Amino acid sequence: MIDQVTFPDAVQWAVPLFIAAILAEFLWIAVKGRGGRYETRDAVTSLIMGAGNIASGFLLGFIAYAFFMWLWQITPLNLGTSIPVIILCFVLDDLRYYWVHRFGHRIRWVWASHVNHHSSQHYNLTTALRQTWTYTFTFMMVVRAPLILLGFHPAMVLFVGGLNLIYQFWIHTEAIGKMPRWFEAVMNTPSHHRAHHGRNARYLDCNYAGVFIIWDKMFGTFVPEQEDDQVDYGLVHNIGTFNPLRVAFHEWVGIWRDATQPGLTMRQRLAYCFAPPGYSHDGSRDNSEQIKAKHLARHPEDRGTPGFEQFDAKQPNTQAKQA
Amino acid sequence: MPLEILLVLVVGGIAGITVMLHMTGRSRLRRLTPEIARSEWLRHAPDDEVIDVTVANDGHAALIRTEKGNGVLWSFGADTVARHLLDFDVMDHPQGVEVRFHDFGTPKAVIHLDETERRHWQHLMEPA
Repeated sequence: MIDQVTFPDAVQWAVPLFIAAILAEFLWIAVKGRGGRYETRDAVTSLIMGAGNIASGFLLGFIAYAFFMWLWQITPLNLGTSIPVIILCFVLDDLRYYWVHRFGHRIRWVWASHVNHHSSQHYNLTTALRQTWTYTFTFMMVVRAPLILLGFHPAMVLFVGGLNLIYQFWIHTEAIGKMPRWFEAVMNTPSHHRAHHGRNARYLDCNYAGVFIIWDKMFGTFVPEQEDDQVDYGLVHNIGTFNPLRVAFHEWVGIWRDATQPGLTMRQRLAYCFAPPGYSHDGSRDNSEQIKAKHLARHPEDRGTPGFEQFDAKQPNTQAKQA
Repeated sequence: MPLEILLVLVVGGIAGITVMLHMTGRSRLRRLTPEIARSEWLRHAPDDEVIDVTVANDGHAALIRTEKGNGVLWSFGADTVARHLLDFDVMDHPQGVEVRFHDFGTPKAVIHLDETERRHWQHLMEPA
Protein backbone atom coordinates (compact mmCIF):
# COMPACT_ATOMS: atom_id res chain seq x y z
CA MET A 1 0.00 0.00 0.00
CA ILE A 2 1.47 3.31 -1.09
CA ASP A 3 0.65 5.08 2.20
CA GLN A 4 3.40 2.96 3.72
CA VAL A 5 5.99 4.34 1.33
CA THR A 6 9.23 5.14 3.10
CA PHE A 7 12.25 7.09 1.95
CA PRO A 8 15.56 7.43 3.79
CA ASP A 9 16.36 10.60 5.74
CA ALA A 10 18.95 11.77 3.25
CA VAL A 11 20.33 14.60 5.40
CA GLN A 12 21.20 12.28 8.27
CA TRP A 13 22.98 9.89 5.93
CA ALA A 14 24.95 12.79 4.49
CA VAL A 15 26.49 13.76 7.87
CA PRO A 16 29.72 11.73 7.27
CA LEU A 17 30.02 13.40 3.86
CA PHE A 18 29.62 16.83 5.47
CA ILE A 19 32.43 16.14 7.96
CA ALA A 20 34.77 14.72 5.31
CA ALA A 21 34.11 17.63 2.95
CA ILE A 22 34.79 20.21 5.69
CA LEU A 23 38.11 18.53 6.44
CA ALA A 24 38.97 18.47 2.73
CA GLU A 25 38.08 22.14 2.28
CA PHE A 26 40.10 23.13 5.36
CA LEU A 27 43.13 21.20 4.10
CA TRP A 28 42.77 22.71 0.65
CA ILE A 29 42.74 26.23 2.09
CA ALA A 30 45.69 25.43 4.39
CA VAL A 31 47.79 23.96 1.60
CA LYS A 32 46.92 26.45 -1.13
CA GLY A 33 46.74 29.51 1.12
CA ARG A 34 43.58 30.71 -0.63
CA GLY A 35 39.99 29.68 -1.25
CA GLY A 36 38.38 30.77 1.98
CA ARG A 37 38.82 31.36 5.70
CA TYR A 38 38.09 29.36 8.84
CA GLU A 39 37.74 30.71 12.37
CA THR A 40 37.28 28.40 15.33
CA ARG A 41 34.33 29.94 17.17
CA ASP A 42 32.52 30.87 13.98
CA ALA A 43 32.82 27.31 12.67
CA VAL A 44 31.83 25.74 15.99
CA THR A 45 28.75 27.97 16.16
CA SER A 46 27.78 26.92 12.65
CA LEU A 47 28.24 23.24 13.46
CA ILE A 48 26.17 23.51 16.65
CA MET A 49 23.46 25.28 14.69
CA GLY A 50 23.52 22.35 12.25
CA ALA A 51 23.22 19.82 15.07
CA GLY A 52 20.40 21.85 16.59
CA ASN A 53 18.61 21.88 13.25
CA ILE A 54 18.61 18.08 13.20
CA ALA A 55 17.43 18.03 16.84
CA SER A 56 14.62 20.47 16.07
CA GLY A 57 13.57 18.15 13.26
CA PHE A 58 13.28 15.31 15.77
CA LEU A 59 11.33 17.49 18.22
CA LEU A 60 9.07 19.50 15.90
CA GLY A 61 9.11 17.63 12.59
CA PHE A 62 5.95 15.75 13.54
CA ILE A 63 3.91 18.96 13.18
CA ALA A 64 4.70 19.37 9.48
CA TYR A 65 4.47 15.64 8.89
CA ALA A 66 1.02 15.42 10.50
CA PHE A 67 -0.12 18.35 8.32
CA PHE A 68 1.23 16.65 5.19
CA MET A 69 -0.39 13.32 6.05
CA TRP A 70 -3.71 15.08 6.56
CA LEU A 71 -3.37 16.64 3.10
CA TRP A 72 -2.48 13.22 1.72
CA GLN A 73 -5.66 11.78 3.15
CA ILE A 74 -7.90 14.40 1.58
CA THR A 75 -6.33 14.49 -1.88
CA PRO A 76 -7.83 12.13 -4.46
CA LEU A 77 -4.57 12.17 -6.48
CA ASN A 78 -1.69 9.71 -6.21
CA LEU A 79 1.18 9.93 -8.69
CA GLY A 80 2.99 6.88 -7.30
CA THR A 81 6.72 6.60 -6.67
CA SER A 82 8.25 5.95 -10.09
CA ILE A 83 11.61 7.52 -10.94
CA PRO A 84 10.12 10.12 -13.34
CA VAL A 85 7.67 11.16 -10.60
CA ILE A 86 10.51 11.51 -8.09
CA ILE A 87 12.46 13.65 -10.58
CA LEU A 88 9.40 15.81 -11.26
CA CYS A 89 8.83 16.13 -7.53
CA PHE A 90 12.47 17.22 -7.07
CA VAL A 91 12.14 19.98 -9.69
CA LEU A 92 8.80 21.25 -8.37
CA ASP A 93 10.07 21.12 -4.79
CA ASP A 94 13.02 23.25 -5.89
CA LEU A 95 10.53 25.80 -7.19
CA ARG A 96 8.84 25.60 -3.78
CA TYR A 97 12.26 26.17 -2.16
CA TYR A 98 12.85 29.27 -4.28
CA TRP A 99 9.65 30.90 -3.03
CA VAL A 100 10.09 29.87 0.60
CA HIS A 101 13.62 31.24 0.46
CA ARG A 102 12.41 34.47 -1.14
CA PHE A 103 9.75 34.84 1.55
CA GLY A 104 12.55 34.16 4.02
CA HIS A 105 14.29 37.35 2.93
CA ARG A 106 11.24 39.53 2.33
CA ILE A 107 8.96 38.71 5.28
CA ARG A 108 10.47 39.45 8.67
CA TRP A 109 8.56 36.62 10.36
CA VAL A 110 10.26 34.12 8.06
CA TRP A 111 13.55 36.04 8.09
CA ALA A 112 13.63 35.55 11.87
CA SER A 113 14.12 31.85 11.19
CA HIS A 114 16.44 32.19 8.19
CA VAL A 115 18.64 35.05 9.45
CA ASN A 116 20.91 32.73 11.41
CA HIS A 117 22.08 31.10 8.16
CA HIS A 118 23.40 34.51 7.08
CA SER A 119 24.82 35.51 10.45
CA SER A 120 28.38 34.34 9.81
CA GLN A 121 30.91 36.73 8.32
CA HIS A 122 32.64 33.67 6.88
CA TYR A 123 31.67 31.58 3.87
CA ASN A 124 32.85 28.01 4.03
CA LEU A 125 31.28 24.57 4.23
CA THR A 126 30.47 25.00 7.93
CA THR A 127 28.34 28.01 6.98
CA ALA A 128 26.10 25.63 5.01
CA LEU A 129 25.30 23.85 8.27
CA ARG A 130 24.39 27.07 10.14
CA GLN A 131 20.71 26.21 9.84
CA THR A 132 17.53 27.33 11.56
CA TRP A 133 16.04 25.84 14.71
CA THR A 134 12.72 27.65 14.33
CA TYR A 135 11.51 26.85 10.80
CA THR A 136 8.33 25.20 12.10
CA PHE A 137 7.21 28.52 13.62
CA THR A 138 7.30 30.24 10.21
CA PHE A 139 4.48 27.95 8.97
CA MET A 140 6.23 27.79 5.61
CA MET A 141 5.27 24.12 5.43
CA VAL A 142 2.04 25.35 3.81
CA VAL A 143 4.02 26.14 0.64
CA ARG A 144 4.52 22.39 0.22
CA ALA A 145 0.76 21.75 0.35
CA PRO A 146 0.21 22.02 -3.44
CA LEU A 147 2.77 19.28 -4.08
CA ILE A 148 0.99 16.84 -1.79
CA LEU A 149 -2.45 17.82 -3.07
CA LEU A 150 -1.15 17.13 -6.60
CA GLY A 151 -0.43 13.53 -5.57
CA PHE A 152 3.22 13.50 -4.48
CA HIS A 153 3.54 11.36 -1.37
CA PRO A 154 4.66 13.32 1.74
CA ALA A 155 7.60 10.98 2.34
CA MET A 156 8.79 11.63 -1.22
CA VAL A 157 8.38 15.38 -0.84
CA LEU A 158 10.48 15.34 2.34
CA PHE A 159 13.05 13.08 0.67
CA VAL A 160 13.59 15.38 -2.31
CA GLY A 161 13.70 18.34 0.09
CA GLY A 162 16.56 16.59 1.86
CA LEU A 163 18.36 16.05 -1.44
CA ASN A 164 17.89 19.75 -2.16
CA LEU A 165 19.59 20.69 1.11
CA ILE A 166 22.43 18.25 0.47
CA TYR A 167 22.99 19.80 -2.97
CA GLN A 168 23.25 23.22 -1.38
CA PHE A 169 25.99 22.09 0.98
CA TRP A 170 28.83 22.10 -1.55
CA ILE A 171 28.03 25.55 -2.93
CA HIS A 172 29.00 27.20 0.37
CA THR A 173 32.65 27.54 -0.52
CA GLU A 174 35.16 30.04 -1.82
CA ALA A 175 37.46 27.20 -2.88
CA ILE A 176 35.60 26.83 -6.19
CA GLY A 177 35.62 29.82 -8.52
CA LYS A 178 33.31 29.32 -11.47
CA MET A 179 31.90 26.10 -12.86
CA PRO A 180 31.64 25.48 -16.64
CA ARG A 181 29.46 28.04 -18.39
CA TRP A 182 26.60 25.64 -19.15
CA PHE A 183 26.50 24.60 -15.50
CA GLU A 184 26.52 28.19 -14.23
CA ALA A 185 23.62 28.91 -16.63
CA VAL A 186 21.31 26.25 -15.21
CA MET A 187 22.47 25.25 -11.76
CA ASN A 188 23.01 27.08 -8.50
CA THR A 189 26.77 27.25 -7.97
CA PRO A 190 29.28 28.51 -5.40
CA SER A 191 29.59 31.75 -7.38
CA HIS A 192 25.83 32.40 -7.50
CA HIS A 193 25.37 31.52 -3.86
CA ARG A 194 28.32 33.64 -2.70
CA ALA A 195 26.46 36.59 -4.16
CA HIS A 196 23.35 35.54 -2.23
CA HIS A 197 25.32 35.67 1.03
CA GLY A 198 26.66 39.15 0.32
CA ARG A 199 25.78 42.13 2.51
CA ASN A 200 26.96 44.49 -0.22
CA ALA A 201 24.09 46.66 -1.46
CA ARG A 202 24.38 45.04 -4.89
CA TYR A 203 23.79 41.54 -3.62
CA LEU A 204 20.88 42.15 -1.23
CA ASP A 205 17.83 40.02 -2.06
CA CYS A 206 19.23 38.05 -4.98
CA ASN A 207 19.84 34.42 -6.01
CA TYR A 208 17.27 32.60 -3.90
CA ALA A 209 17.68 29.35 -5.83
CA GLY A 210 18.25 26.00 -4.17
CA VAL A 211 19.39 23.75 -7.01
CA PHE A 212 18.34 25.42 -10.28
CA ILE A 213 19.35 29.06 -10.78
CA ILE A 214 16.78 29.28 -13.57
CA TRP A 215 14.11 30.30 -11.05
CA ASP A 216 16.00 33.52 -10.26
CA LYS A 217 16.39 34.21 -13.96
CA MET A 218 12.67 33.58 -14.51
CA PHE A 219 11.51 35.74 -11.60
CA GLY A 220 14.02 38.58 -12.00
CA THR A 221 16.16 38.08 -8.89
CA PHE A 222 19.39 36.85 -10.50
CA VAL A 223 22.56 38.85 -9.87
CA PRO A 224 25.86 37.34 -11.06
CA GLU A 225 28.89 37.63 -8.78
CA GLN A 226 30.98 40.60 -9.92
CA GLU A 227 34.76 40.46 -10.07
CA ASP A 228 34.97 44.16 -9.20
CA ASP A 229 32.61 43.91 -6.21
CA GLN A 230 33.98 41.24 -3.89
CA VAL A 231 31.32 39.66 -1.72
CA ASP A 232 31.30 40.83 1.90
CA TYR A 233 29.60 38.03 3.83
CA GLY A 234 27.20 38.41 6.73
CA LEU A 235 24.33 40.65 7.76
CA VAL A 236 23.77 44.33 7.05
CA HIS A 237 24.04 44.72 10.84
CA ASN A 238 26.36 41.92 11.88
CA ILE A 239 25.61 40.33 15.23
CA GLY A 240 28.24 40.23 17.96
CA THR A 241 27.72 36.82 19.50
CA PHE A 242 28.84 33.24 18.94
CA ASN A 243 26.24 31.96 21.42
CA PRO A 244 24.02 29.54 19.43
CA LEU A 245 20.94 30.43 21.49
CA ARG A 246 21.36 34.11 20.70
CA VAL A 247 22.08 33.31 17.04
CA ALA A 248 18.93 31.16 16.81
CA PHE A 249 16.54 33.55 18.52
CA HIS A 250 17.89 37.10 18.16
CA GLU A 251 15.53 38.18 15.39
CA TRP A 252 12.50 36.70 17.16
CA VAL A 253 13.45 38.74 20.23
CA GLY A 254 13.86 41.77 17.97
CA ILE A 255 10.37 41.29 16.53
CA TRP A 256 8.92 40.99 20.02
CA ARG A 257 10.63 44.15 21.26
CA ASP A 258 9.69 46.14 18.16
CA ALA A 259 6.06 44.99 17.92
CA THR A 260 5.30 45.44 21.62
CA GLN A 261 6.73 48.93 22.09
CA PRO A 262 4.12 51.39 23.33
CA GLY A 263 2.31 53.87 21.14
CA LEU A 264 2.14 51.94 17.87
CA THR A 265 -0.91 51.36 15.73
CA MET A 266 -1.94 47.78 14.98
CA ARG A 267 -0.78 48.26 11.40
CA GLN A 268 2.69 49.27 12.61
CA ARG A 269 2.87 46.28 14.96
CA LEU A 270 1.94 43.92 12.12
CA ALA A 271 4.49 45.60 9.85
CA TYR A 272 7.23 44.91 12.42
CA CYS A 273 6.24 41.23 12.16
CA PHE A 274 5.60 40.79 8.46
CA ALA A 275 7.06 43.70 6.45
CA PRO A 276 10.45 43.26 4.77
CA PRO A 277 13.41 43.35 7.18
CA GLY A 278 14.49 46.93 7.83
CA TYR A 279 10.99 48.31 8.31
CA SER A 280 10.58 50.88 11.07
CA HIS A 281 7.58 53.03 11.94
CA ASP A 282 9.77 56.11 12.42
CA GLY A 283 12.10 55.72 9.45
CA SER A 284 15.10 55.01 11.67
CA ARG A 285 16.11 51.87 9.74
CA ASP A 286 16.72 51.05 6.10
CA ASN A 287 15.30 48.18 4.09
CA SER A 288 17.18 46.72 1.14
CA GLU A 289 15.73 49.16 -1.42
CA GLN A 290 16.79 52.09 0.72
CA ILE A 291 20.25 50.63 1.23
CA LYS A 292 20.62 50.23 -2.53
CA ALA A 293 19.40 53.79 -3.11
CA LYS A 294 21.89 55.16 -0.60
CA HIS A 295 24.68 53.14 -2.19
CA LEU A 296 23.83 54.63 -5.58
CA ALA A 297 23.88 58.11 -4.06
CA ARG A 298 27.47 57.41 -3.01
CA HIS A 299 28.37 55.44 -6.16
CA PRO A 300 26.27 56.72 -9.07
CA GLU A 301 28.57 54.83 -11.44
CA ASP A 302 26.89 51.59 -10.30
CA ARG A 303 23.47 52.70 -11.56
CA GLY A 304 22.05 50.12 -13.96
CA THR A 305 24.71 47.49 -13.21
CA PRO A 306 23.72 44.01 -11.91
CA GLY A 307 21.80 44.28 -8.66
CA PHE A 308 20.82 47.90 -9.36
CA GLU A 309 18.78 47.46 -12.55
CA GLN A 310 15.58 48.54 -10.83
CA PHE A 311 17.05 52.01 -10.40
CA ASP A 312 17.84 52.26 -14.10
CA ALA A 313 15.15 54.70 -15.11
CA LYS A 314 14.92 56.60 -11.85
CA GLN A 315 16.61 59.83 -11.03
CA PRO A 316 19.35 59.82 -8.41
CA ASN A 317 17.65 59.92 -5.03
CA THR A 318 19.80 60.78 -2.06
CA GLN A 319 16.74 61.05 0.19
CA ALA A 320 15.72 57.41 0.20
CA LYS A 321 12.04 56.79 0.75
CA GLN A 322 11.07 55.29 4.04
CA ALA A 323 8.97 52.13 4.11
CA MET B 1 20.69 6.00 10.54
CA PRO B 2 20.70 4.67 14.12
CA LEU B 3 20.51 7.55 16.59
CA GLU B 4 23.61 6.42 18.53
CA ILE B 5 25.76 6.49 15.41
CA LEU B 6 24.36 9.87 14.40
CA LEU B 7 25.14 11.25 17.86
CA VAL B 8 28.71 9.92 17.78
CA LEU B 9 29.25 11.41 14.32
CA VAL B 10 27.85 14.81 15.25
CA VAL B 11 29.59 15.13 18.62
CA GLY B 12 32.85 13.62 17.35
CA GLY B 13 32.77 15.72 14.20
CA ILE B 14 32.22 18.99 16.07
CA ALA B 15 34.88 18.16 18.67
CA GLY B 16 37.42 17.06 16.05
CA ILE B 17 36.93 20.10 13.84
CA THR B 18 37.12 22.42 16.88
CA VAL B 19 40.43 20.94 18.03
CA MET B 20 41.85 20.99 14.50
CA LEU B 21 40.96 24.65 13.96
CA HIS B 22 42.26 25.75 17.36
CA MET B 23 45.53 23.82 17.03
CA THR B 24 46.17 25.33 13.61
CA GLY B 25 45.85 28.90 14.89
CA ARG B 26 42.33 29.69 13.70
CA SER B 27 41.31 31.13 17.08
CA ARG B 28 43.39 34.29 16.79
CA LEU B 29 41.58 37.58 17.22
CA ARG B 30 41.69 40.20 14.50
CA ARG B 31 44.28 42.90 15.22
CA LEU B 32 43.33 46.47 14.48
CA THR B 33 45.41 49.41 13.35
CA PRO B 34 43.88 52.88 12.89
CA GLU B 35 43.66 52.26 9.13
CA ILE B 36 42.06 48.84 9.53
CA ALA B 37 39.65 50.17 12.15
CA ARG B 38 38.61 53.04 9.88
CA SER B 39 38.03 50.77 6.88
CA GLU B 40 36.21 48.16 8.98
CA TRP B 41 33.93 50.86 10.42
CA LEU B 42 33.06 52.03 6.92
CA ARG B 43 32.42 48.43 5.92
CA HIS B 44 29.84 48.19 8.69
CA ALA B 45 28.48 51.74 8.38
CA PRO B 46 29.15 52.94 4.83
CA ASP B 47 27.06 56.11 5.24
CA ASP B 48 29.29 57.45 8.01
CA GLU B 49 32.16 59.91 7.82
CA VAL B 50 34.90 58.96 10.24
CA ILE B 51 36.39 61.91 12.11
CA ASP B 52 38.99 60.06 14.16
CA VAL B 53 39.92 56.65 15.49
CA THR B 54 41.31 55.59 18.88
CA VAL B 55 42.65 52.04 18.91
CA ALA B 56 43.07 50.24 22.25
CA ASN B 57 46.64 49.30 23.14
CA ASP B 58 45.86 45.60 22.81
CA GLY B 59 44.70 46.18 19.20
CA HIS B 60 41.34 44.48 19.60
CA ALA B 61 38.99 47.44 19.87
CA ALA B 62 38.65 50.97 18.59
CA LEU B 63 36.56 53.95 19.49
CA ILE B 64 35.34 55.66 16.34
CA ARG B 65 34.20 59.27 16.26
CA THR B 66 31.88 60.02 13.35
CA GLU B 67 29.75 62.97 12.37
CA LYS B 68 26.75 60.90 13.59
CA GLY B 69 28.29 60.30 17.01
CA ASN B 70 30.66 57.82 18.59
CA GLY B 71 30.86 54.10 18.01
CA VAL B 72 32.82 51.08 19.10
CA LEU B 73 34.44 48.56 16.79
CA TRP B 74 35.87 45.38 18.24
CA SER B 75 37.50 42.16 17.15
CA PHE B 76 35.03 39.35 16.77
CA GLY B 77 37.07 36.25 16.04
CA ALA B 78 38.84 36.90 12.76
CA ASP B 79 36.35 39.64 11.93
CA THR B 80 34.91 42.73 13.56
CA VAL B 81 31.59 44.02 14.86
CA ALA B 82 30.66 47.69 15.08
CA ARG B 83 27.99 49.56 16.97
CA HIS B 84 27.09 53.20 17.32
CA LEU B 85 26.93 54.23 20.95
CA LEU B 86 23.22 55.00 21.11
CA ASP B 87 21.48 52.77 23.67
CA PHE B 88 24.23 51.45 25.93
CA ASP B 89 25.76 51.25 29.39
CA VAL B 90 29.45 51.22 30.26
CA MET B 91 30.48 49.11 33.24
CA ASP B 92 33.85 48.69 34.86
CA HIS B 93 35.45 45.37 34.08
CA PRO B 94 38.57 43.84 35.68
CA GLN B 95 40.31 44.02 32.31
CA GLY B 96 38.94 47.36 31.13
CA VAL B 97 35.35 48.22 30.39
CA GLU B 98 32.26 46.30 29.41
CA VAL B 99 29.88 47.99 27.00
CA ARG B 100 26.32 46.66 27.17
CA PHE B 101 24.17 47.35 24.13
CA HIS B 102 20.69 46.20 25.23
CA ASP B 103 20.61 44.07 22.08
CA PHE B 104 19.95 40.32 22.26
CA GLY B 105 22.12 39.66 19.20
CA THR B 106 25.00 41.82 20.41
CA PRO B 107 24.71 41.87 24.19
CA LYS B 108 28.10 43.29 25.12
CA ALA B 109 31.70 43.95 24.22
CA VAL B 110 34.49 43.56 26.75
CA ILE B 111 37.25 46.02 25.86
CA HIS B 112 40.66 45.43 27.36
CA LEU B 113 42.14 48.72 28.54
CA ASP B 114 44.87 49.72 30.96
CA GLU B 115 44.07 52.25 33.66
CA THR B 116 45.10 55.30 31.63
CA GLU B 117 43.17 54.11 28.61
CA ARG B 118 40.12 53.30 30.69
CA ARG B 119 39.77 56.89 31.91
CA HIS B 120 40.34 58.24 28.42
CA TRP B 121 37.79 55.88 26.84
CA GLN B 122 35.18 56.53 29.48
CA HIS B 123 35.59 60.22 28.86
CA LEU B 124 35.26 59.71 25.10
CA MET B 125 32.19 57.52 25.52
CA GLU B 126 30.28 60.07 27.57
CA PRO B 127 27.28 61.38 25.67
CA ALA B 128 27.98 64.77 24.09
